[in-house]
This record gives sequence, structure tokens and C-alpha cells, in this order.
Amino acid sequence: MADEGTGEGAADLAAENDALGLALAAEHAAVWGYGVVGAALAAADRGTATGAEAAHRDVRDSVLTLLAQRSVGPAAAEGAYALPFPVLSPVDAAALAVVLEDGTAAAWVRVLDQAAERGTRELAVEALTGAEVRAVGWRTTAGRTPVTKALPGLPPQ
Amino acid sequence: MSPLASPAPREFSRRTLLAASAAGLALVAAGCTSSPPDERERVTGEQADELLGQVGVQETLVAAYTAAGAADPALAGEVADLAAQAGEQLERLRAAAPGATPSSTSPGTPPSPAEARPWLRAQVATAATSHATACVNQSGARAALLGSISAGLRGQDGRLA
Repeated sequence: MADEGTGEGAADLAAENDALGLALAAEHAAVWGYGVVGAALAAADRGTATGAEAAHRDVRDSVLTLLAQRSVGPAAAEGAYALPFPVLSPVDAAALAVVLEDGTAAAWVRVLDQAAERGTRELAVEALTGAEVRAVGWRTTAGRTPVTKALPGLPPQ
Repeated sequence: MSPLASPAPREFSRRTLLAASAAGLALVAAGCTSSPPDERERVTGEQADELLGQVGVQETLVAAYTAAGAADPALAGEVADLAAQAGEQLERLRAAAPGATPSSTSPGTPPSPAEARPWLRAQVATAATSHATACVNQSGARAALLGSISAGLRGQDGRLA
């Protein structure tokens, strides 16, 4: 049921489901992308990528469950995705991880914007927070400054 | 083959920028009155009050950065970019809550220079939790803004660790 004060109805939930579908697509991409990230890292550093991949799998599965409960057919993961740049070194890998986390952060901010249900906002803010916390670590590894963002997931004003 | 990360849809960025204000007032100010704000952009009195409260929370955090920097000048230099981001967050919150007047409570002062960092980190974590809690009670652009600020502060918390 949609929240009191935010309106009810199929239109509200349809917008929320659409946003969740985009978030799911971003999570699929992140799970795939972390395979590339891990492959470009030294073996001793792969644990961070593995943990991030697991976190995205968990979020992905939560979205899949939610959409299934609503009888919404989720988008399937693609077999492969186009990399935004060649990933040939650990620094490239960290930069790719930043792209992955920033991409999911934007998708989850959109869910917050479109959500009709409180439970969905709880899921979204948790996923968004996880993405930004991981992104801080990857920006550091990639040599980016600043390593934090004031408004992760929101477009620049 | 799809790109690995797609940018947020165009209508989201436009609507977020224009509608990150209670009850669509910013839409009116921007001259975008051709369509009424949707249900998610309607704000109850309780939600408006809570948003004003979050402005106060952020003002307290900005004051905490100042207090921590005064207690430990070396820390002030180290966290200048974080303090600036906290200020940027405050400006966005004020823009989303027209009519907000300063209502912060003093953060106090760090117990000692050596304790300034953990004290500041605790202040950041407290603000992040407060914004996240408020986020789930809001909707539309207000929820998006509060969630983003909360996540940004969690990132700051990680850097201060």
C-alpha cells in the first residue's frame, strides 16, 4: 500500500516499479563489472572487489524478490556490457569500480525520488549508502580527489 | 551490448533540480507551472516540519566542523573539503525548505584536541542517521535529497575513520 500523504494507486506503484527496474539493471551491471574489477586487481586486493560484488548480489536479489511479489517481470542481466574504458591495471580497476558504484547510486536516488512505499525508501537509502561508502574507498585507490561526494547520486546543480 | 553504467534519465535530473523544494514552490519560481507537482511532491505539514528539522541538524554539523577545526588546526586543514561539502549540503537543504530559519543546537566542543577527530566523526554519523531516518518519511525530491546527503555523510564518516 502506498504511504499516506503520498497518494495511492497503480500509477504511483508503476513509477516506483519502473525505478526499481532501472536499479535492478544497474545492480546486474555492477555484479558483472566487479568480475572485471577483480580480474585486474592483485590477488591480495581482490577481497574488496569480492565483497562489493556480494553486496550488489544481495541488493539485486532483494529487488528481484520485491518485483516478484508484485508480479512484475524483472529485466534479466545481459551476457556482457560495454566497458567505459580499457581496464588494464589496478588503478583502472578502481576507476571502473567508481563508475559502477556511482551508477548504482544514481539509480537508487531515482528510486527514492519515485518511491511510493516507505519500505522501498528504506531499501533504497541502504543501497545508496553502501554504494557511496564503497565508492569512497575506490576513489582513494584510483587517486581521485575529492574522495567523498556531497550529494552522491544526484546530478550536479 | 549495453554500456556498463547508464546515466540517470534526463527527466529525473531536471525534476530533481526543479522540484527539490517543498510543495513545488521551486517549480513555480522557475516558471515551470505547465503541470502540477505529482503526489510525491505534495508535502504534509508533518513532512515540512521534519524537513525544517533536518536543516537544523545540518547546521549543527556545519558548526561541529568549525568547532573541531578550532580545537585541532591540523584537523581543520585535513577536513576542509569535507566541511565545504557539509556546507553545500546545507545550502541544498535550505533551498528545499523555503523559509527555514536557523534553528540548530550547538554541537558543543571536542573534549580535547586529541579527541577532535572521533568527536567530529560521531557528529557526522549522528547527522547521517538523522537524515536517513527523515528520508524514509519523505517522498519525491525531498526523499532523494535527504537520502543522498545521508549517504554522502556516511562516506565522510568512512574517510574520517
